[in-house]
Amino acid sequence: MSIKVRVVERKGRTFLEQLYLVEVVKGMTVTLGHFFRNLLDNSRLYVRHYPEVKPEISPRWRGRHRLTRHEDGSVKCVACFMCQTNCPSNCIMIEAGERFDGRSEKMPVKFDIDLLECIYCGYCVEACPMDAIRMDTGIFSVTSNSRESLLIGLEQLMETPGGFSEVDYHKGGG
Amino acid sequence: MSALDILIILLRVAFGAFVPLSFVAVLVWMERRGAAFFQDRAGPNRCNVYGIRAGGLIQNLADGIKLIFKEDIVPGHIQHKLYFILAPMLVFITALLCFAVIPFADVLVLGDREYVMQAVPMDVGILWFLAVVGFGVYGIILAGWSSHNKYGVLGGLRAAAQVISYEIPMGLSLVSLLAVYGTVDLSAIAQYQGQLLFGFIPAWGFVLQPLGVIIFIVAAFAETNRTPFDLAEGESEIVAGYHVEYSSMKFALFFMGEYVAMFVSSALIVTLYFGSYQIPWLSTETLVAHARPVVILLMIGLPVIAYFFAGWIKKNNRTHYYRADDPRSRETAIYVSLLWSLVVVLEVILLIYLIFAAGGAADRILVLLLQIGSFLIKTFLMCFVYVWVRWTLPRFRYDQLQKIGWEKMLPLALLNIFITGAIIVSFS
Amino acid sequence: MAEMVKLFVNGQEVEVESGKNLIDALKVVGIEIPHFCYHPALGADGNCRMCLVGIEDGRPPIVPACKTPVQAGMKVLLDAEHIKKIQHDVLEFELINHPIDCPVCDQAGECSLQDYYMKYSLDDSRMRVDQVAKAKRMDFGCGVVHDQERCVLCARCVRFTRQITKTGELGIVNRTDAARVTIFPGRPLNNRYALNIVDLCPVGAMTSQDFRFRQRVWFLKKDASICHGCSRGCNIYIDHHREKYKDDIIYRFRPRTNLLVNGYFICDAGRLSYKEENENRQVTSLIEGRQAPFDETIAAIRQKLDQARKPLILISPDCSLEQMWAVRRVSTLYGASLSGFSDAYVKAGDGDDFLINDDKAANRRGLELLGIKTDRKSFIEALQKTDLFVNFNNDLHFSGVDEEIDALLGTVQSIAVCSHQRDVFKTASIILPIASYSEYGGTIINQDYVLQAFAKAVVKNEAGKDMLEVTRLLGGAVIDARHAWPGIRKSVACLADVDPAAIPAEGIKLQTGEDANVGA
Ligand code: SF4
Ligand code: SF4
Ligand code: SF4
Ligand code: SF4
Ligand code: FES
Repeated sequence: MSIKVRVVERKGRTFLEQLYLVEVVKGMTVTLGHFFRNLLDNSRLYVRHYPEVKPEISPRWRGRHRLTRHEDGSVKCVACFMCQTNCPSNCIMIEAGERFDGRSEKMPVKFDIDLLECIYCGYCVEACPMDAIRMDTGIFSVTSNSRESLLIGLEQLMETPGGFSEVDYHKGGG
Repeated sequence: MSALDILIILLRVAFGAFVPLSFVAVLVWMERRGAAFFQDRAGPNRCNVYGIRAGGLIQNLADGIKLIFKEDIVPGHIQHKLYFILAPMLVFITALLCFAVIPFADVLVLGDREYVMQAVPMDVGILWFLAVVGFGVYGIILAGWSSHNKYGVLGGLRAAAQVISYEIPMGLSLVSLLAVYGTVDLSAIAQYQGQLLFGFIPAWGFVLQPLGVIIFIVAAFAETNRTPFDLAEGESEIVAGYHVEYSSMKFALFFMGEYVAMFVSSALIVTLYFGSYQIPWLSTETLVAHARPVVILLMIGLPVIAYFFAGWIKKNNRTHYYRADDPRSRETAIYVSLLWSLVVVLEVILLIYLIFAAGGAADRILVLLLQIGSFLIKTFLMCFVYVWVRWTLPRFRYDQLQKIGWEKMLPLALLNIFITGAIIVSFS
Repeated sequence: MAEMVKLFVNGQEVEVESGKNLIDALKVVGIEIPHFCYHPALGADGNCRMCLVGIEDGRPPIVPACKTPVQAGMKVLLDAEHIKKIQHDVLEFELINHPIDCPVCDQAGECSLQDYYMKYSLDDSRMRVDQVAKAKRMDFGCGVVHDQERCVLCARCVRFTRQITKTGELGIVNRTDAARVTIFPGRPLNNRYALNIVDLCPVGAMTSQDFRFRQRVWFLKKDASICHGCSRGCNIYIDHHREKYKDDIIYRFRPRTNLLVNGYFICDAGRLSYKEENENRQVTSLIEGRQAPFDETIAAIRQKLDQARKPLILISPDCSLEQMWAVRRVSTLYGASLSGFSDAYVKAGDGDDFLINDDKAANRRGLELLGIKTDRKSFIEALQKTDLFVNFNNDLHFSGVDEEIDALLGTVQSIAVCSHQRDVFKTASIILPIASYSEYGGTIINQDYVLQAFAKAVVKNEAGKDMLEVTRLLGGAVIDARHAWPGIRKSVACLADVDPAAIPAEGIKLQTGEDANVGA
């Protein structure tokens, strides 16, 4: 069996093309078409009127983190440091402590994420053995007026609700 | 010298100085909006003063304020502070000076006196332009070198090499053009283009020099460092090239200098090839002779144009998503009423002219204004071409740039000279 | 040098020391045999069966490596299918009731069970019945926390308390899957070496209350050093780590094997002495209680020393040999008297016959060899005569306030060059912070004249200067630790041919005094 070889003609070698001018004019007609189309009716622009109109976020979108909880409201995280270990930008800082609620022996007493350092890679979510950290809050715009406020802690991470239903999250968005 | 003389001189100089400056604002706006529309985006549409956005012009105001209030940094490593500061001024001033020799209307005849409508009436015209524009590149080289920064130096070197390469085809294409016009005085060139060829084609430069106009325009793009020839600031490889170390108003001078240069070279292209201030088929004398019908036509045309313009505003100046009590409809109402009041004012002025002042000097001034308008509209369109090209074509690679300059444009320009020469000799 | 024998492992010929068992002998040549219960300090118990290896042509064909001494010509099989199956099955057996707590287990990262699972098993559990639940988080006393579920019943801990400390607090009760390690009711661990159990335990069944949950071990940087807790000079690892946005701190000390000095263990007090290195540190230079830049403080000390009629310099017996030498040089430079008085560092009766010594000074032998007087009488005499007392980090209050000396100290102006904030230094008019032993390198000589070298481990954000550097800034001639050695070699006979860069890991036993005579 022979491999099928398709010879693709190489463009841009004819005299007219080498002259550029004709091609330039062709290109300019195309852009001019767009210009007038948009000038005459700007509702046809391919834009989203952010921030008034928010984009739709898929459940797979890696937004700001949150820490999930058990039904009784206690934190799922067991402070195993897997997320911190895997974080390529070293932006998770955990302090662990004893836990006496019978769910585990260990829990985080401090859980800081420096959102300014985070690259939103999602490795922390992948690494977590407890499904305790997720990036499903749907928060995609992380802004603030001070650096300090972007070092978010345990409370903030725990009180942010998930942005999607459990089913959608596990489906990973359609 | 009479008071009138002085007044007209003042007006001319003011025109020469302020029109390019105010055009900077328009051009920056046009560049942004144009870029946006070419790329299916919206462009500046947020900045406003009490909800009035003036189609995005307010953004320029904001930028201006920002640039003025930014810290004016002279980086510590710079050794030649004087040159560093001199460079942006040079770029800006040379760009502005070029405009001084460009005529923006036909010679104004008031009584027995004639006034040349040029900021600086000079009959060396085109030579002045070439000299001054070539000087502008020193600003760029100086900026690049005195920045003491490798990107800056590279930018400066590129600019220098590019300007040298393209000045030659530009000069050669001018040679054949001047052979056709037989003069270097821009006023004379403009008047020349008022004639008709074979009795029905306006004798504009681009008709007489179809090859020359292309060469000249391409070379002019290169001279102004505009895309596709903006290698001097190629941000992808040398950050911002020669102005990488500049901030605040020093940067603003480069920025404005670029737009002034664009405006001036548009004006020159228009002057040389697109009939300058001439309105096609209506020479100055024809206009003066038929002032009344022209005015009546204007009076009919104005409301019609305003009607369509208002319709366009209403259609486009609204919010394209749900918004309670859309503030943009309020804005639209203001624009439309402003537009109509302007039309009314103009109609009244024209009516007054018709009834009281028709004939004599007023006719001449009317024609002057019409020609200035024609000149500005043409220049504006040419600037639009600049924007259009910028948002269509990618930047050339450096070797391509030089190849085009030396291997294509130079032979073509020489060929053009031979053809022109042959034709001129055979006809005379 | 022990005799070498040749044997074959998986058909490859290797040469190993005779007289050892297979595990130890092959480890030297880089061949690892998995094992739980064997520990060189505790001997072979043979209960875990993890170390089973095949012996070709041997009778019986499968033997526990821990109990099999090497023999010339032996043909050891490690990678045969049946051996792999044994290892795999033993692991599966161990894991039947194992909780797999790895995410919350402090041992994760240095756990034999975990490592072997990754290497020899990687299978999913086949168990369909509930696991046997046992007690977790049991306080065994002495800061040892036990987790019965994680235990693999290797009995190392039990053997430690029986063979090493001879206190016998631990035992294994019950049989089969109910077997567990425990203490006798109401009689928790009670010995001064108990925390060694945590290191001995191959899994996470024994954890230290002190280190528990404080850090994951894979973050820790493990640097070799020497404990400065007493004159034994036990070898340790300093496990330290700089967390993001924080300072480099020590999380724990662990014993480092040195058969010449401490064997495999260290005492609990020494193990916990890492806290000293983290806490109570002097970090700012003070002149008359006012915070001053370091350079200014040095200048002030120089000026004081220049003006003083008869300064007295007191040096700490914890200093390295090089530091002592440098301080000695400085004292001659300023015509000062020098003392190493440190009776407070001796706690009579505190020592035992294992590791702990009465003398809590790490380098008293150094003072002795350099000829620095340490007796009380000469110190008090010097103190009575002096008008400027410069204390190089000597904690005179180590075992409480000394009225007589304090009374004398009250009358002279004093300067403290110190690493920690301590009572004795409070009265000093100038205080200069310096590095402590985890932050510099040097050599010390232990009680038994073993010369050992240690290197800098911790780098603090606001690092104190090495005492050597301070002496140099005071005009001393010693530039760095290496630079001190020509002088030391010349003045101390038994150090005459020591090359500080070539001190072996276990140290050099010096030939001194009687020893030297005996040797001669
Ligand atoms: S998303 Fe990536 S960078 Fe951000 S915290 Fe998680 S692992 Fe770290
Ligand atoms: S990986 Fe999960 S359980 Fe472990 S510390 Fe991070 S969030 Fe907590
Ligand atoms: S003892 Fe080892 S295998 Fe067991 S939970 Fe701890 S780390 Fe994991
Ligand atoms: S606690 Fe540790 S050392 Fe003791 S028997 Fe269990 S596994 Fe072995
Ligand atoms: S190490 Fe040999 S049987 Fe446990």
